[in-house]
Amino acid sequence: MPSVENMTRPAPLPLSAPAVVRPRWLVRLLADTAYVIAAFPLGIAGFIVLFAGFAVGIGNAATLLGIPVLSATMYVARMFARGERAMAARIVRVPTATVRYKEPAADAAWWRRIITPLGDGQSWLDLGHGLLAFFTSLVSFILVIAWWAGGIAGTLYPLWAWAIPQDPNDQQFHQLLGLPDTRLADIAVQTSMGLVLLITLPPVVRAAAVLRALPARGMLFSTAALRDRITNLEEQTVQARAQTAAAVSAEATALRRLERDIHDGPQQRLVRLAMDLGRAQHQLDTDPEAARLTVTEALAQTRETLAELRALSRGIAPPILADRGLVAAVSALAGRSTVPVEVDYPGLATTGAGTEPARLDPAVENAAYFVIAEALTNVAKHSHATECAVSLERTGAYLVIEIRDNGVGGAHVAKGQGLAGLADRVRAAGGVLTIDSPDGGPTRLLAELPCV
Amino acid sequence: MRVVIADDAVLLREGLIRLLAETGHEVVAAVGDGPSLVSAVVEHKPDVSIVDVRMPPSHTDEGLRAAVEARSKLPGTPVLVLSQYVEVSYADDLLADGRGGIGYLLKDRVSEVGDFLDGLARVAAGGTVLDPEVVAQLFARRRRGDPLRTLTAREREVLGLMAEGRSNTAIAKHLVVTEGAVEKHVRNIFTKLDLPPDDEQHRRVLAVLAYLKG
Repeated sequence: MPSVENMTRPAPLPLSAPAVVRPRWLVRLLADTAYVIAAFPLGIAGFIVLFAGFAVGIGNAATLLGIPVLSATMYVARMFARGERAMAARIVRVPTATVRYKEPAADAAWWRRIITPLGDGQSWLDLGHGLLAFFTSLVSFILVIAWWAGGIAGTLYPLWAWAIPQDPNDQQFHQLLGLPDTRLADIAVQTSMGLVLLITLPPVVRAAAVLRALPARGMLFSTAALRDRITNLEEQTVQARAQTAAAVSAEATALRRLERDIHDGPQQRLVRLAMDLGRAQHQLDTDPEAARLTVTEALAQTRETLAELRALSRGIAPPILADRGLVAAVSALAGRSTVPVEVDYPGLATTGAGTEPARLDPAVENAAYFVIAEALTNVAKHSHATECAVSLERTGAYLVIEIRDNGVGGAHVAKGQGLAGLADRVRAAGGVLTIDSPDGGPTRLLAELPCV
Repeated sequence: MRVVIADDAVLLREGLIRLLAETGHEVVAAVGDGPSLVSAVVEHKPDVSIVDVRMPPSHTDEGLRAAVEARSKLPGTPVLVLSQYVEVSYADDLLADGRGGIGYLLKDRVSEVGDFLDGLARVAAGGTVLDPEVVAQLFARRRRGDPLRTLTAREREVLGLMAEGRSNTAIAKHLVVTEGAVEKHVRNIFTKLDLPPDDEQHRRVLAVLAYLKG
């Protein structure tokens, strides 16, 4: 059956394509074909070398002579694996992880250098892949060659059918199908078979390439991906720990300041109040007029104590923040600031009648509020600014807070101006604080807090 | 009495100055930090100093350390320490030199004007006046096997009042018993704590306190 024979003739390598814009499926098809064809000799060579090395190594392992052979085989497997990785990465999606082998220490003894690859899981996977890939490359190679050759040769059959000697005794393919023995039937059957192969060529070649590349994906990349995932998790753990530490530090700082505020404020006033009332009690016996004066003073003292307590409790947990949300609370903050503050909140309108925008998470609102409160305190205390602007904006999964002033600048986390506490607060909320404050100003604080 | 006041809170300083002026004392210096206290004491040699524990620059126990330093420069100069909190370890620092003329009171006690002035006078006279809270803490931290545990409840009460700087007469009045009964309790306490009897009231208190802080 000469026509069948013709079908197995290798198709011309489809690498030299013209430099025109080619459809994606064609690019894919050519790349897959090139991969399968190039991987075939590699697969055979790999199988021969690795199988031989492995067999000799294992066979002589008992005499210890096989160990260096096995070790060398591992290194060869590693070379094949490297080539395979480079090729497979173009065919199937692979994890972007970098593959790492267990390396002997720089000053390791010679025998340790030999042993090391034998204790490395990835090296064994490389070797296993080298042996397995032979079979997949064989199957995929046959599929690709058959489809290309059959597709092209069959489709072009009318052009070369005349060159084949026809013997009336030959059983042709169309005759087997029960068609009359005419040239037309022969050409029709051969050409349509070729067309079917040509049409199914892209999916079949894709399947062959994937079949060839899948063991590589599973064996040559898998542990690397796993290791990278572990590294990622470790990084996340470290980050989480830093976040916790920042939270604890921010908390401790806040509590210390609270104690200080209570000590210097209301407590002081109440002691004085008690002192004055004690005096008044004393004076009642000796000088009632003085006692009246002292009580009047004590009353004023009481009012001031109340005002101080109010300010203090607002500093601990501002009621307006819980009741009305961040924008209202920040506006109130701005209103109390000694430096004029302009508040801008695109897309974060105050709650009210009509369309009520979704409130942010309470933890985010709280963090944002105190970041702004502390920043404004800093502005009032250190910047000598005459104006200040606060902007709040929701950008994706982040709440971006910007505080700008026209002050003298030179703010730095290390200067103990409360910026360290502020940075801790932001970090505790999982966010990032950026400080831009050249000497001479202006100062710009940018806090990005995650909202999810 | 000539008094030096050290407190960084102007509010309290003014209150104390008025209180002392109205009750016939003379405030010779009023300062706001530790180093100034030391130099004021050395300069004026007051009858007594009233010192706040927390003062600048450190805002921790600046006043306490200044008081100890002043007493090392001018041995035995009476100091009454006032604080928002009382801590036994602070009391230990003050009593470490074993001399009298030490007081350690919560600031709140100032409102009991009579008691406060009384305590101030006792400190100036070389006595020891501890806040009831300090005394309570001193009792609370007693270890096992301590002879103090052999005291009866009444004797503990008497010892506590002694530590607060009260005389036998005052203790008798406070407990509504006769002075003779108090004297008996005091003798029992000394016996139980193995302290030799002594005539001078404040020295005995001092001895008890020396024992308390050990």
